Amino acid sequence: MNREQLVEELKQQIIEQLNLQVQPADIVASDPLFNEGLGLDSIDALELIVLMQQKYRIKLANAEDGPKIFQSVDTMADFILANQTPQAG
Amino acid sequence: MYINGASAISPLPVFDAMTSGISFIPGEGNRLTAYEPAYNNLIDPKLIRRMSRVIRMGVATAMDALRQAGVSNPDAIITGTAYGCLEDTGIFLKRLVENGEEMLTPTAFIQSTHNTVGAQVALLLKCHSYNNTYVQRAQSFERSLQDARLWLTEHPGASVLVGAADELTDYSYALLERFGLYRHQAGGEGAAYYLVTDAASEKSWARVDQVYTLFDPGPEELQDLAAALLQEASGQIDLLLSGEEEMDYNADQYAKVSSVLGYGLPVIRYKKYCGVYPTATAFASWLAAWWLKAGKVEVDGLQLLSPGRILIYQADPSGYHSFILLSAC
Repeated sequence: MNREQLVEELKQQIIEQLNLQVQPADIVASDPLFNEGLGLDSIDALELIVLMQQKYRIKLANAEDGPKIFQSVDTMADFILANQTPQAG
Repeated sequence: MYINGASAISPLPVFDAMTSGISFIPGEGNRLTAYEPAYNNLIDPKLIRRMSRVIRMGVATAMDALRQAGVSNPDAIITGTAYGCLEDTGIFLKRLVENGEEMLTPTAFIQSTHNTVGAQVALLLKCHSYNNTYVQRAQSFERSLQDARLWLTEHPGASVLVGAADELTDYSYALLERFGLYRHQAGGEGAAYYLVTDAASEKSWARVDQVYTLFDPGPEELQDLAAALLQEASGQIDLLLSGEEEMDYNADQYAKVSSVLGYGLPVIRYKKYCGVYPTATAFASWLAAWWLKAGKVEVDGLQLLSPGRILIYQADPSGYHSFILLSAC
């Protein structure tokens, strides 16, 4: 999966996990996820952490990195690409 | 205690009754689903996404009751629910099993507690006042009403938002149906909230005169209480809203109450409109208040003009019996 596909998949995953009433096309990948932009809150942050673990098998080692990683869909995609373990086969 | 605003969501479309009126058509099938309004006009869409159906129904009726009464922030919020937030409980438990008790998402857990409806109303209103939820099977709504009365006694001039909400989910319907709960009457669900005060106003719909609860009463106890209620109403009860179902397990108790109140008294069985659920008396109370406010009852070929008092009686198979007496004001 290339970066562009990952970004689109992430938008879909975020919409489903958080039950957002928007379409993937409405989410700008570089826009902030919290406060401005999508207006997510602290409960959503926990949902995104679980999403990262369940779907991409990435566990956040340091909670202080959260704000940087979950700043936007772009930063989430970069983090996944940098940390995802290559699948066997 | 006076009802100054009342709102209900039920399988009978009553939420927009003020503008559309009510068509009394009994629900069909063995599972009656609440007729829900367009919530986007009532609740911030950003907040709706986390709310399950029972929360949406509860919040929407609470907001509507407040709007009708012209109250922006009540002095107390009291809610009754028997089942609580079943949908979120189901989601949480399913994930608990599927994910091996790991990586559980917070939303379903947070929203699964019984007091979520009352809490969500308070959060939306930024209301830091007394907030309580009663969970007592088929007396959950009655306990809430009794607490509202006590609160008003202790806080004259206060306004209390009181109501009840219960939902029927795929899981709960399947389980309760297997238990035989819906063998003779369809399962149902709904929410209703009331804004009550200790003094009448030009907005008052009706007055709540009495709320009595009994557990597993014997025939004499039931007879005595029905007689006392009739005496309290000066012998003038115009309509009995009965919770009796087809082939009811408690048919004898219903017959006993009818015999005391007088066999000529008109009786309407309200569960054919809302289905069977523990807080169905909250829907029945809405119907009673609506008719008392309108000054007429037109349903099932029955026509009553200027009803003065309506009595609601429910005898739940769990042993919980209740009487709610409302009068015109």
